[in-house]
Parts: sequence; C-alpha cells; structure tokens
Amino acid sequence: MNILNVQELGKSFGKFEAVKGVSFSVEKGESFSLLGPNGAGKSTTINMITGLYPPTSGSIQITGVDVIKNPKQAQKSIGVVPQEIALYETLSARENLKFWGRMYDLSGNALEKVVDEVLEIIGLTDRAKDKVSTFSGGMKRRVNIGAAILHKPEVLIMDEPTVGIDPQSRNHILETVKRLNNEGMTIIYTSHYMEEVEYLCERIGIIDHGELIACGTLRELRESIGDRSRIIISLDNEGSHHLEISSLLEGLAVEKDILIKDKLLTVFHKEPQAILSELIQLVTKDGTKITSVEIVEPNLESVFLHLTGRSLRN
Amino acid sequence: MRRILAIAWLHLKELFKSPGTLVMMFILPGLFGWIFGGISIESGQTKPVIDVVMNEEEHSTEIFNLLKQNEHYQWNKATLKEAKEHVEEQDTVAAVVIPTDIQQKVVENQPLLDVILRSKTEDYLALEPHLQGTANLIIRIHHTVEESNSTTLPDMLEAAATSKGVAIEKQTIQKDGNNPVEMNLMFVGFAIMFMMFGLSGAASTILDERIGGTWGRLMVTPASKLQISLGYLIAYFLMGWIQFSVLMIAMNLLFETTWGNLTYMIPFASLVILCVVGFGLMIAGMVKTKQQAGAIGAVLIVSTCMLGGVYWSIDLVPEFMQKISLAVPQSWAMSGFKEIISGSLHPATLIKDTLALLGFTAGFFLIAIRGITFK
Repeated sequence: MNILNVQELGKSFGKFEAVKGVSFSVEKGESFSLLGPNGAGKSTTINMITGLYPPTSGSIQITGVDVIKNPKQAQKSIGVVPQEIALYETLSARENLKFWGRMYDLSGNALEKVVDEVLEIIGLTDRAKDKVSTFSGGMKRRVNIGAAILHKPEVLIMDEPTVGIDPQSRNHILETVKRLNNEGMTIIYTSHYMEEVEYLCERIGIIDHGELIACGTLRELRESIGDRSRIIISLDNEGSHHLEISSLLEGLAVEKDILIKDKLLTVFHKEPQAILSELIQLVTKDGTKITSVEIVEPNLESVFLHLTGRSLRN
Repeated sequence: MRRILAIAWLHLKELFKSPGTLVMMFILPGLFGWIFGGISIESGQTKPVIDVVMNEEEHSTEIFNLLKQNEHYQWNKATLKEAKEHVEEQDTVAAVVIPTDIQQKVVENQPLLDVILRSKTEDYLALEPHLQGTANLIIRIHHTVEESNSTTLPDMLEAAATSKGVAIEKQTIQKDGNNPVEMNLMFVGFAIMFMMFGLSGAASTILDERIGGTWGRLMVTPASKLQISLGYLIAYFLMGWIQFSVLMIAMNLLFETTWGNLTYMIPFASLVILCVVGFGLMIAGMVKTKQQAGAIGAVLIVSTCMLGGVYWSIDLVPEFMQKISLAVPQSWAMSGFKEIISGSLHPATLIKDTLALLGFTAGFFLIAIRGITFK
C-alpha cells in the first residue's frame, strides 16, 4: 500500500524550473531516498511534499490526503527534519521538544512522557536541561530529529539530516533512523552521501537538474549499469587516449563507459582485473604518468556517474 | 488556542533569556528616564535669581514682598550697579527696579517696574507674566486706596502680599519648566521610543527564524497561519505591556510620577502598544535581514519620534512642523497620553487620537501581512 504518491510534480521559480515532472511512490514502512548532488532539486521536492511550497504542477498524496488541497491535514501524519537546525538556541533541548510537541497537540503528562522517550532515543537525556546553543553540531542534529518524531508520525521526511557533523554523531543518527524504520515508520530521506543512502534505504530515486533520472532498489540501479566496477586512474595530464581505450574495451565502446575529467580517467568494466595491465600500457605509452590506480566496486556513485557523467559531490 | 499560547509563551521566554533584548527594553529606557528625570528634578531645585533694586521706603519693601510670592525664583536685593553687573555676567535672569516715584507713575499711567535684562531667556519669559500681574495688582490697589481714602498704599500692599490670592502666577511659571504633566509625558515618550526599538527588534527575529529554519518548520506543523500569527502577535503585545508597565512603575517609584485615570490609560496604552507591534512587524515584512531591520528601524523610529513630540513638546516646534507631525503615530499617542495624564480627558481629543492610532495600526498590519511571507 502506497503511503506517498507523487505524480508529475513540477516547481518553477520565475523562469527557473527547479523540479521537472517528478513521479514516484513510497510504500508504507518503506525507506526511500532521494539522492542527488547539491542543487539537484531534492529539497524543493521535499518542501512540496511537506506542504511548504505549493507546486507549479502535479499532485501529492500522503496517507491518502491531498497535500495541495489539505496541507494541514496531511501535516498531522508527517514529521519533518529540515536541512537547517530549526531549533530555538536560547532554550534547552527539553523546552524545544516540548514546544514542537505542543504544535502537534501534545500536552500535559503525555507530552512530558513522550519528550522523555525521545530524549532517550536521541541519547540526550543527561543534557536535556542544557541550552541548545551549548550543543555540538551533532547533538543539535539529534534534537532536530527528536522534534520531528514526538508525535510518532507515519512518515518521517528527512532533508539531509547529517550535513556537517562528526562521524560518531552521523552513526548515531543513522542507527536511530534505521531503528525507527524497523519499528514501522516510513522514511523519506534525502542526501548526497551515497553511503548513508546505501545503508538506510531500500529504494532510491536519483535526482539531477530537477529530474528523476533513475529509481529502484540498490541492486536494480547497479544492474542498470551492468554491475560494472570502476577503474579510476589519476593522470598527470588528461592526454588523448579516449579512442584507443574505447577500442580496447571491445563491445563497450560507448561514450559513457570512459570518462576523462580533471586528470581522472574512469573506465567502467565488469572484469577490471582482466584489462588493467593493458589499460595502463595504453595510457602510459605517450609518456603520460599515472599517479594512482583504484578499482571501485559498483555502487551508487558509479550509477550517478554513469547516468550524468558527474560525481555526486560535484 | 493551545498552539497560539505555546508560540506566545515561547517568544516571551526567549525575550527574558536574551540579554540584548533586556538591555534594549528595560535597562536603557530606565537609565534614560533616571538621568533625564533626575535632571528635570535637579533643575527644579536650582532657582533662577532675580535682583531687585529698591530703596528702603515702606511701599518698596511691600512690593518686594509681593514679588517674592513667586517662589520659583530667588529674589535678591541689590544696588543698581550690582544688578547691572549681575545681568551683564548672566548671574541673574533679570533685575527689577522698583521706582521711588511709583505713585506718580500710576497716576501718569506709565510702566511701574523697570526691568534690566541681557536677553529674553526662557526663565525671563516665564517671569514676565508675574511682573505684569504684580504691576496690575499695584495699580488696582492704588485705585482702591484712592477711592476708599481710608488706608495708605503700603498698608494695602502689605495686605495683598500676605494674602494667599496673590500667588496667581504659579501656573504660568510651571508651564515652562517643571510641569509634572510634561515630565510624566517625557517618561511616556521614552517608553514609547524604547518600546518601538524593543518590539521592532523582537519582531525582526522573524527574519532570523526564516533563515534559521524554525519559521519553515512551524509552517509544516499542523498549526495554521492564523494560529502562528496570533501567537507572535500576543507575544509581542505582552512584551510591549511588560516593558511599558515596568518603566511606568519604575518612574513612579523613582520620581513619584502619576499616570492619570487607569480606566482610560490601560485601553489607550494597549492601542499604542498594538500600533508599535504593527510598526515592528511592518519593518520585519519590508526587509530581508535583521541588520536591515535594525538600520531602517533606527532611522524611522528616531525621526518619527522627533516629529511626533516624543523628545520635546510638540507645542515648541513651528506650526508647519506641528502639521507634519500629524503624519506620525507618536504625535497622536502623545496627545492622548497628555489628555489622560493631565486629567483633562477631553472626549473629542481622545476620540480623535484613538481613531488616528487605529488607522495607523491597521495600516501597519496590512503592510506587515503583505510583507511577511508564509512560504
């Protein structure tokens, strides 16, 4: 059963089309990710799903409620973790959580109880009375998540919730999200960190320049590029080996299988070990020097690179 | 309702946890009030000096006693030479010469008292009606003596000098300097100005909230735009009232100021505070950053407060400035407060002031609503 249905969603700011006809759906209890580089249109899509931006075109339904027609009704069943640390810094963690809880009609003992529970989940019980301004970035991010799960939403929408934090806090957040998902909460997660997406999400939508360019499970996406590994060779100059390497890769001489950018030669191949020595000979025959060679197993970065010709972090 | 109160309470709590806001809302106005209030009272304690040049004749002594009825000045006897020197060196406001032939001057309808002065200072302008009044009194007494033929002029002058009815000039003197109504208005003026600074600063936190993300987060909760707006409005309104009350109570304790009939004062002050909240929200809606709000707010607040008679009485400025002042809400606020504090409670003036403030408030809120985006 679909808990979220997004159909032909579009958003323009003046002449700029930020989101172009995006369609996808998410099942109840699923964890779905929108992956894409900065400026791809992930946050704009999320802002439309949460009812913050009215879309220019298309439709959105959450738990069967039309978000465009009844945003306040739809917002009751969602929890939103914004990209910014949307908290009141002069107030304590507990005060912040209580305030956001009240916005979802929680009050009295029920509110106190749920705040205690959430503080436990985010691991900040012992810092509950401290002002948020005294917290580290990671701790603030945890309170930011806590404020979104107080009312036990059916769908938790997280917009890049781990930006700019230390690995320890990131791990804590990822584990928390995983746990919430295992308990039945539907997760919609945007990020440009493929490792997070690979760890958390069952299905992934790849978004670039406002368009959903691929959507499926990690396995499906890998298969879409032939499950090929990447050979990444760092060069001292970009050289002119493109055609020769193409002919070496018999049967795979497609433009997207070989990328040369910023002195990095990337070759996609199912059996990288088999062609590596020949590839190195080809590259170095005109005196080009190799500074490093790396073989990367197929992953989301490979998929994105293959689809767009660009790295996710560009 | 719970959401509205939660938003209002949150912002009130934030206010009391922000040292900068507390300084702007309470410490600075308190300090201004204390300094300027102190100066006003201090200046009231140092009486301006008037030299009186007179001979030792009985009627001169009685006229001197009549002049001394005005206790707002210090009256010193001096020789003509000393008096001229004092005036020249500005040690005295003026010197009053009581002529020896005063009866003849009355008969010949000539000015009775000669006054030596260097320039017409405010102190002299306040004194002038008293001198005129004293002279008129001497003339009236002279005519009475002539008609009755039963008593001498000095006897009548003595009777007049000891009579309580002579102190008619007190009101005129008070108008110029230490009128309690004017002093109380000065405190109200400070309260309005700092309330404008405090509340426009507080309202511009909406801009910070927009950038920080809490505004957007509020928008994606089930709280409606109306609930959010009312929450902010109530918070700022209560902030205004807290600031106004604290300042008024502090000034009352420090300088024994009074605030007139509270039945009129409370609703009128509420309207003024609402107008100030609207002004703050209007600025927040017009600009993009808190820094812009601070700069534009400061320029608008200081200039309109000057025009609106917050720093000085509007009666002191030229007529065309008085007309311009009608375009700023402070002039209507000060006018209404003056009616209430002085106790005159002139209905037409109060209604006019109230309607004007309602108009300004509605205008400010309309601009604010158009400017503050809910997206």
